[in-house]
Amino acid sequence: MIVGSANIETLAEDAATIESFGTSEIVFEDVVCFQMTMEMRNQAREAVLPKGLHPTVPATLSMQAWEISRSPFGEFKMVVCRIGCRSGVRARGYSTRVYTNSQIAATALKQQFGFSAQLAEIDFRHSFDGTDVKVIFESRVIFEAACLDPEPMNNSDVQYTGTLNLAHTPNGLRLVQLEAHHVASQVERLSSRLLNFDSEAWGNSLLDPYTVVSASLAYETVTFPPVRFVCKPDELAFSGTEAV
Amino acid sequence: MKFGIFFELSTPRPLTRRNEWQVYHNGLEQCRLADELGFDHVWAVEHHFLEEYSHCSSPEVFLSAVAAQTRRIRIGHGAVVCVPEMNHPVRVAERAAALDIISNGRLEVGTARSSTWTELGGFQVNPDDTKKTWDEFCRVLPKMWTQEEFEWQGKGFSMPSRNVLPKPYQNPHPPMWVTVTTPGTELDAADRGLGCLGVSAAGYEEQERRTKEYHRRIQLCDPVGGVINDQVHTMNFLYCDEDYRKARDIGVPMVNAFNVANTHLYWTREAYPTRAYQTLGNAGAGMKAKKTAVDDPSLAKGLPEGVGVGDPEHLINTIKKWEEIGVTGINFLLNAMEMVPQEQVLASMKLFAKEVMPRFRSKEDLAAPVYTPTSLPAFVGAEK
Repeated sequence: MIVGSANIETLAEDAATIESFGTSEIVFEDVVCFQMTMEMRNQAREAVLPKGLHPTVPATLSMQAWEISRSPFGEFKMVVCRIGCRSGVRARGYSTRVYTNSQIAATALKQQFGFSAQLAEIDFRHSFDGTDVKVIFESRVIFEAACLDPEPMNNSDVQYTGTLNLAHTPNGLRLVQLEAHHVASQVERLSSRLLNFDSEAWGNSLLDPYTVVSASLAYETVTFPPVRFVCKPDELAFSGTEAV
Repeated sequence: MKFGIFFELSTPRPLTRRNEWQVYHNGLEQCRLADELGFDHVWAVEHHFLEEYSHCSSPEVFLSAVAAQTRRIRIGHGAVVCVPEMNHPVRVAERAAALDIISNGRLEVGTARSSTWTELGGFQVNPDDTKKTWDEFCRVLPKMWTQEEFEWQGKGFSMPSRNVLPKPYQNPHPPMWVTVTTPGTELDAADRGLGCLGVSAAGYEEQERRTKEYHRRIQLCDPVGGVINDQVHTMNFLYCDEDYRKARDIGVPMVNAFNVANTHLYWTREAYPTRAYQTLGNAGAGMKAKKTAVDDPSLAKGLPEGVGVGDPEHLINTIKKWEEIGVTGINFLLNAMEMVPQEQVLASMKLFAKEVMPRFRSKEDLAAPVYTPTSLPAFVGAEK
C-alpha cells in the first residue's frame, strides 16, 4: 500500500487554527462552482501527502473555484487546490492552499473550516460560451484556466469528494474532514486548458499538474454540516479517525 | 451452487519482477489444485495500470497456461474490456475462440467496460462511449463466432466482410457474462440473455433485490447470442480454517488489503463528469462491516456480512444464505497482495473442498463434480 511521506511539520507550517468546532451547518447560496481535474506525474505522489492518506493511482490534483453570492461571510470568491487521495477507503481531496478575495471570508475559512487561506485577486468569468479563472497573488498569476464549449449535463453528473484540511484543532494537529453537500440546478462540462500553475504558491513545489482530465461548472447551493470527524495526519484513517 | 476462484493477480510492493513472477506462479498452482478439488471455474480479470491491485493485464495468456495445466475446470475469461481502444472486437473473438479450442471447450467469456479513469484515461477512451461499445461488442461477438462472413457498420468499429477465425469449439459459442459493479448492470445482462458476474461484494439484501429482478427480466430477454446464460455469480473471499478465530485473524486482513488497494484506483466518475458512470464503483467503500459484540467470525470487526471467511460450519451457513437468495455460483478471491502465505491458501482450499463443497452438491454433481461442455443446455456438439 502506498501512503503519504511528506514531513508533517513542514505541511503544518501555515496550518490554520480552529479554536472550537461549530455545531450548526453553514450554507452557501447562489454558488457557481468550477472544478478542474488534472493528473500529476507519479514521482511525487507520496511526497505531497501526509502519512495518514493514500495517493490515488495515478496521482491527481483538482482546482475548485467558487463564486459565492450569499453566505454567513458575505459575498466572496475562493479557489482551492486539492490533491486526490484516500482516507481509509473514502475518496477525498487534501487541500494545500486556498485563496480568497475577502478578508472576512479568509478569517472564517481559517477559523471554521481549517483552510489555509490567503488573500488574492480572483478573476472568475463564466458565460454561455465558456469559463475563465485567474488567480493573481502578489502581482503574479498563480493559476489560470481557460475553458470553452460548455455541454449541458445532468445535475448529478459531477462528483465532488470531501475535503481534508490540515489544521490545529482542539484535538491537536488534525486532518479536518469537510463534507460539503452540493445541490446543483445546472451543470456543464467544459473543454479546458491549464495556462498557468505556480506550484509553490499552491503550497508545494512538487505539485505537477501536467495534463487536464476534465472541467465542469455547476450552479448550486452548498451546505456544510458541522464537522463530524478529524483524522490524525500521521496515522491511517482506520485507527486514526476521531469523532468530534 | 457452483464454486469458482477469481484472480486479480494483486501484487504487493515492492513491485519487483520476482514478486510478479511469484504471484503468477502461485496463481497457477492454485488453479491446478482447484481443478483437482472439483472447483467449477477459474476467472481472471483484465485490468491495466492498476498498481498492486491487479497485474492481470493479459488474462488470455494466464488462462492459456491454466487451460494447459488443468483438465476439467472451466476457464473464465472475465472480463474482457469491451472498448475498441483496448481490444478490437475481432481480436477478442479470435483470442476467445483459440482459448476455447486449447481448453477443449471449457471457456466462459465475460464482458466489461472498465470503471476506472486509471485505465480509460491510459488508453484515452471517452467514458461517454463505453456502455455503447460494450453493447456493440456483446452483439457482434456471437456473430463473429458463428458466421462465415461477418461485416459491420457500427459506432465503435466497422469492417468489411471477413471470416473471423478460428471458430470456438463450443457450439454455437461459449457462454457469455457481464461483470456487474454498478447497480442496474444486472438488468443490462438479463435483457441480453447474459450471465451476471458480480465483481463487487454486495450484502445479502442488496444482492437479493438484484438477483430477483435479474431472474425475472431474463425470462423476457432478447438474447444477443445463441446461448442464454441465466446464472448469477457473486464475488467473495475465501479463507477457511477449522479454528474460526484463526480464519478471522488471517482472512480479515486479506479482505481489508483488497479493499484498500481497490480504493486507491481513480474512479471514472471522480475524474470525468459523465452520464455513463453514475457510481464510483469503489468496492471497498461499498462493503459495510456489521457492528456487534458477539465473538463470531461472521460478525468480526471489519468483516461485512456474507464473506467467506471462517470455519467450515460458518461457510456452509453463509453459502446457504447466498443460495436462498438465488445466487447460482460464488467466485472466491483466495488471496490479496499475498497477505496469506501460499501453503495456507492451498490448505484453505482443501478444507473448503472437503468440508463445505460436498454440502452443496447433488449426487449427480458429486459423481461428475465439474460440468462439461456436453452438459451445457445449448450444446449441440462441435464439428470435428
